Amino acid sequence: MIYLVVAYAAAVLILGGFLWLSLGTLRELETKASAKK
Amino acid sequence: MTRYTRLTAAAVLLMLVAGGLIFLYAPEDYLQKEPQRIFYLHVSTAIAAFACFAVVMVAGAIYLRTESARADRIARAATLVGVVLTSVTLVMGMLYAKPIWGTFWLWDARLTSTLVLWIIYMGYLLLRRLGEPGRQTARFAAVVGIFGFVDVPIVYFSVTWWRGHHPGPVIVSNALPPEMLFTFLVTMVCTLFLAGVMVAIRYRIETLADAVEEGADPVAQLVATQREPEPAR
Repeated sequence: MIYLVVAYAAAVLILGGFLWLSLGTLRELETKASAKK
Repeated sequence: MTRYTRLTAAAVLLMLVAGGLIFLYAPEDYLQKEPQRIFYLHVSTAIAAFACFAVVMVAGAIYLRTESARADRIARAATLVGVVLTSVTLVMGMLYAKPIWGTFWLWDARLTSTLVLWIIYMGYLLLRRLGEPGRQTARFAAVVGIFGFVDVPIVYFSVTWWRGHHPGPVIVSNALPPEMLFTFLVTMVCTLFLAGVMVAIRYRIETLADAVEEGADPVAQLVATQREPEPAR
């Protein structure tokens, strides 16, 4: 049971972290790009 | 709420539906018990990673032929997402192996070829990161992306060509009961959608990063980095 929980926790952490960081970068770049216009 | 935030919310919602099926609907495996539930996302992320690497190969070929900046950006975006998905496959696979085989890792053909796949595309990312930005690096990376895909069929057929510890293809051999097959198919569709959303977000990031870089005036940047000259006495 512990391996099942750890496996899904790791997957959520990796995929969720990646999405979170990507959306943060996207927001930052969109602010930069709109400031240049 | 932007289009990308809405897409992300939809992908997260779909993954929650898949999670519900995995933990509440799919029956427990008679032999492997609870750890078998790792299988659904472990295999789905592997398939989604293969799809990303197929996109890298096609985009790389288009780039070599047309030098389209859009194709290059798609390749960059899909490589990063493919590497993240392969990382999930490897981590989940190791945590699946421990209760079943008694060890996290074996130098089995499937495991080794998947690790090689991860290393190849990490090499692609390193090349993009460390190489001089421009045509030469993009062309070289496109070649790596195309030849790197050769490892994908090796990963897929490794369980047939070299009989090791990793189980053979259970989906195509119709070895799953209907409830498990349904759960797997839903998880796979949801994971593919998530991968598509991730690639779309990364593509937008690459586009904006290129625009910000191109928009930067090199002379103004040089002036800004230089020290103010001392006033003449």
